[in-house]
Amino acid sequence: MTRKSLTITILILCLGLIMIGCPKKPVVREEPSAKKEEAAKIEAERMAKERESKAKEEFEKSLVAKRTPGIEGEVFESSLLKDNHFDFDKYDIRPKDVAILRENAALLKKYPKVKIQIEGHCDERGTVEYNLALGERRATSTKNYLVSLGISADRLSTISYGKERPLDPGHNEEAWTKNRRAHTVITAK
Amino acid sequence: MLKHFLIFISFFTFSFISSSEARVYLDINAPTFVQIPIILTKWKSMDKTPPSFSEKVYEILAKDLTLSGFFKVIDVHHLPLTLQEREGVPNTASLQEWIPAGGEILLAGETLLESGGLNFKLKFHLFDLVEQKHVIGKQYEGPLQALRSAVHRMADEVVLQITGEKGVHNTKIAYAVLQGTGKEIFISDFDGANVKQVTQNQSINLSPAWSPDGKKIAFTSYLKRNPDLYLIDVDGKNLQRFSYYPGLNVSPSWSPDGKKIALMIGMEGKSDIFLIDTNGGNPRRLTKGHGNEASPTWSPDGESIAFVSDRSGSPQIYIMARDGTNIRRLTFEGSYNTNPSWSPKGDRIAFCGRVEGRFHIFTIGGDGSGLRRMTSNPGNNESPSWSPDGRYIAFSSNRTGASKIFIMNANGFNQRVLTPSKGGESSPAWSRRFE
Repeated sequence: MTRKSLTITILILCLGLIMIGCPKKPVVREEPSAKKEEAAKIEAERMAKERESKAKEEFEKSLVAKRTPGIEGEVFESSLLKDNHFDFDKYDIRPKDVAILRENAALLKKYPKVKIQIEGHCDERGTVEYNLALGERRATSTKNYLVSLGISADRLSTISYGKERPLDPGHNEEAWTKNRRAHTVITAK
Repeated sequence: MLKHFLIFISFFTFSFISSSEARVYLDINAPTFVQIPIILTKWKSMDKTPPSFSEKVYEILAKDLTLSGFFKVIDVHHLPLTLQEREGVPNTASLQEWIPAGGEILLAGETLLESGGLNFKLKFHLFDLVEQKHVIGKQYEGPLQALRSAVHRMADEVVLQITGEKGVHNTKIAYAVLQGTGKEIFISDFDGANVKQVTQNQSINLSPAWSPDGKKIAFTSYLKRNPDLYLIDVDGKNLQRFSYYPGLNVSPSWSPDGKKIALMIGMEGKSDIFLIDTNGGNPRRLTKGHGNEASPTWSPDGESIAFVSDRSGSPQIYIMARDGTNIRRLTFEGSYNTNPSWSPKGDRIAFCGRVEGRFHIFTIGGDGSGLRRMTSNPGNNESPSWSPDGRYIAFSSNRTGASKIFIMNANGFNQRVLTPSKGGESSPAWSRRFE
């Protein structure tokens, strides 16, 4: 073939293609696009599921069974559920702890079967009875905050340990700061 | 558990000589008093009774009299050498020989073991060295397991002769002890001896309170993952779950007639005083309104209850009638007053108040007058509980490091630790007299 005839042939072929393609344009172009979108959707779903199962795996992996001598039942602790803390003799939620409770609430929304118990704890200062009452109020204010973030109250129970279960047994401000807390345990997963 | 704790004990007392007229040597109701110097001569072992037996009796008695806070005990080691070995009961004519020892009262005694050492006889005589006369003599006998109790009775009698009211040496104190991550309930005699563990469940067991008959203890435990109120026999038997509302069931106080228990019940961050019959029935809320109420304590006539309320914005002591009416505020000084305990004599209420970040024991009249501070050490002092005669207060203090149980005279004098330990004791509760 000469160079000229090759050029013509290509042009004809191209024209032909165009001519063939033109009337069918919507069909030809649509078909692969819809497939692509669907595939993308499936892929996205698959990835979301994978992410979810990974997260679920991560959450499940984070669970540590906790049995306490002299206290009935088994509960679980998760490093993904963080403690919030309190100022001395106070039980209101501190602005700087709001982010923690939002994250805890997000996790609880993700796992609607999970039920938790919020433990109110105090530092060692003050009497046994006063701190039991204070711990109860700390647990309750934490619970109420989670309810305000959309968590159903029947998934949340409270218990006060007063000053009986310090995280840090020290007798100084550093220990006290750690001990004034609301801690979460999982009672059903 | 305590299997044979409440062994039935019987023994006899003979008062074979008594003084012609009673004289009170010491007015212990005065805000301050000088301790009476009492000489305790060496006790004599009769027949084949080993000297070690007399020494044991002597030791228990000397400790009892010291703990009473009314005496300056001059024991054999503090007598002039010539008098140290003088044993047995002196006759009245030779009493002046004891004057160099510096005592105002002299106590002498004898022991005798019988039935192959299974039974004892103790005899003591009390002399007034100032007036050179015999005051009283008494004999006690019983089985060996009743020895400690008999010596306590003897000390009670000496206290009666000197102060006009008998002592509380036959009483017990219940308290919580830190063990691992939990707390267990223990009891001991007034002198810190005879320590027995009542609970053994590894849980958190808190705030014991005696039934008026001394047979049961009410306390809070986390056994069922909630601070519920339980009753238990002092020998550790018959555990009974008494009040178990979801939330706090704490700080019990038995009514003086033993028919009701006042306690604090806390739910959803709000706490109130409730009354429940001792058979578990008829629960009723006594306090209503916005405040948080805690720590009820009955007046000895059973007509009133003192308690803590934060209705004014800070915890303060209040008094109400037993039906919840007629509430009045008792404490106005300080911003944190808790742990009220009503004296069995009825005239004063002890409580724990915060001063410059530390907790101290105070007492106040039932009408709000005569506030007195009892402790001033650099530690925290909490949970006061009166002796049944209203002459002593037990409390917990961490003045020496870890928390221990202390006892003091009701005027704040003579503060001493109940029992030597590494610490971790809290919430003392004083029983009534075991007769």
